[in-house]
Amino acid sequence: MSKEPVAVVGIGQTKHVAARRDVSIAGLVREAAQRALQDAELTWADIDAVVIGKAPDFFEGVMMPELYLADALGAVGKPMLRVHTAGSVGGSTALVAANLVAARLHGTVLTLAFEKQSESNAMWGLSLPIPFQQPLLAGAGGFFAPHVRAYMRRSGAPDTVGSLVAYKDRRNALKNPCAHLHEHDITLEKVQASPMLWDPIRYSETCPSSDGACAMVLTDRAGAARAPRPPAWMLGGAMRSEPTLFAGKDFVSPQAGKDCAADVYRQAGIADPRRDIDAVEMYVPFSWYEPMWLENLGFAEEGEGWKLTESGVTELDGDLPVNMSGGVLSTNPIGASGMIRFAEAALQVRGQAGEHQVDGARRVLGHAYGGGSQFFSMWLVGALPPET
Amino acid sequence: MPEVLKAPLVVEFPFTRSLGPVQSAFLTGLRERVVLGVKTADGRTLVPPVEYDPVTAEELRDLVEVANTGTVTTWAWNHEPRRGQPLHAPFAWVLVRLDGADTALLHALDAPGPDSVHTGMRVRIRWAGERTGAITDIACFEPYDAEPHRPGGHTGEFADPLTGIVAPARLDYTYSPGRAQSAYIDALSEQRTVGERCPSCRKVYVPPRGACPTCGVATAEQVEVGPRGTVTTFCIVNIKAKNLDIEVPYVYAHIALDGADLALHARIGGIPYDQVRMGLRVEPVWTEGTRYPDHYRPTGEPDADYDTYKELL
Repeated sequence: MSKEPVAVVGIGQTKHVAARRDVSIAGLVREAAQRALQDAELTWADIDAVVIGKAPDFFEGVMMPELYLADALGAVGKPMLRVHTAGSVGGSTALVAANLVAARLHGTVLTLAFEKQSESNAMWGLSLPIPFQQPLLAGAGGFFAPHVRAYMRRSGAPDTVGSLVAYKDRRNALKNPCAHLHEHDITLEKVQASPMLWDPIRYSETCPSSDGACAMVLTDRAGAARAPRPPAWMLGGAMRSEPTLFAGKDFVSPQAGKDCAADVYRQAGIADPRRDIDAVEMYVPFSWYEPMWLENLGFAEEGEGWKLTESGVTELDGDLPVNMSGGVLSTNPIGASGMIRFAEAALQVRGQAGEHQVDGARRVLGHAYGGGSQFFSMWLVGALPPET
Repeated sequence: MPEVLKAPLVVEFPFTRSLGPVQSAFLTGLRERVVLGVKTADGRTLVPPVEYDPVTAEELRDLVEVANTGTVTTWAWNHEPRRGQPLHAPFAWVLVRLDGADTALLHALDAPGPDSVHTGMRVRIRWAGERTGAITDIACFEPYDAEPHRPGGHTGEFADPLTGIVAPARLDYTYSPGRAQSAYIDALSEQRTVGERCPSCRKVYVPPRGACPTCGVATAEQVEVGPRGTVTTFCIVNIKAKNLDIEVPYVYAHIALDGADLALHARIGGIPYDQVRMGLRVEPVWTEGTRYPDHYRPTGEPDADYDTYKELL
């Protein structure tokens, strides 16, 4: 028996900011969930199950969000699941929810991811004082910077490419009312003049710390037929994992990422992603990850991804726009960042991305990764339902 | 076999929490010796109050004051109070339905022994002398046999409401790095770096984990690697981390020790930070009384050819 097609009929985000001191975590997730319900013109009673994701527990000290947030998300009397895959969690949470619909276990599922970075410290959470280990580094930037250098060496990319990505994403964010950073006076020179934090990563090429939540309502064909606005259809979705460190691991282009993309393309019948996909929302917490993921996801040959960035292909008006929303570089509530990618991809094919809409976007990829480049989750959404 | 190492690991952090309107009123009320509940559409009063109806999921904002006297609905005796619990002497954990409330609040009851506690017993709040807007503003409950307290008509509006709290979290672990890493650490104390070879793929893991993450088989064969190695990649750290006693800028490098099949991570010294490069040949510099090499320094050999280490990046 074939799978039930899955449609996105409701999307809600909070306005992402540095600190939402006016709401509790429950109030924050509620806001996103209610906006998704309003978009779908549904009520709590229409939801059959709730699937929630968040960042690693030490990031904000909430160990059991499913326990604490059941009331706020109307989960009483319904299944409620929590998903956990580090930074990719927003993507894998959406996929677990989608699979419940695809398997015909539930007709309509609310999925949601969040983080309040202002109430915690992710850098501390990533640098616990493990006994017998030599403390050398704090935070994610220092972890990823050597891999960026390896990419630059391997590809021969000019060292300006990272700043081009940051400049583009910050300008895109100006067109997205939900984005955290709205740097109206951003210039390429300012990006390039910003201090090196973990050389080769500059301050302006790193993501902010944000408070925010993102929610989606996923449903089956019957639900999509009742939807008040055009749905986005899931054409393919996959997750892959690999160990953080192992002999032969390719940090520049991890095998798990390649395999995950290949699985999505196979499901969706994509022969040539560069030709067949109109735009991408990818997880780029440090600017250089745009050209790296362009290669990993098959949009460019190995060592060639930076040429797409440099030639303007990934600009909002380019041939393959990347991170139209401003991306993780402009908005990073870590636990929600993956789902924001998935939701922004869906907004594009629904034609509802507003000022950052790509004209005629019919097939858009949403991508997330997490841990030490070890968890990958992706979906491809389309304006038309999958051929069955 | 050498002894497996163990050490305490304390993880603690002062998480902050924004309260939102309902918890803000509840905790501010405790500071003012007022207990607030929230009314649901069907007329129940929930204490402690919640932001969203547990049955209908509707938003709840209608705050009402309840009494500081109530009835124990169930209890459990705590023979050995632990650090951070409300009372130092043995006490009863109780669920108390305050007069005027439809749900029960969890707290501690100061009682001489389990024989003096029963479901249905009447109790009253004992307020803390110093109150800050926290659940600990209720020091505990105490037995009470007189007339029920009559609450005032407080609606939850306060002149100086509390909007956030600090919620310190602390976890005490006993950490053990396990057999393989203990052996690695022991060898380091003799200034030797010893990894383990996978019997299946033959890769040498440094530090060893006792199993090959690719093949999923146990590793046991010890292999000494280094001491020299090659910088495969690196970054220059320019921001000072609170928990690290290292002056910036410094170079954080991935180093493939000769004979190892993946890189370990270390600091590079003995060379200006802006002259470190991929392929640089380095050796460890040990200092007295430390477990790890303090840093690695250039050996003076010619740089390694990119092709010799590109698979280790």
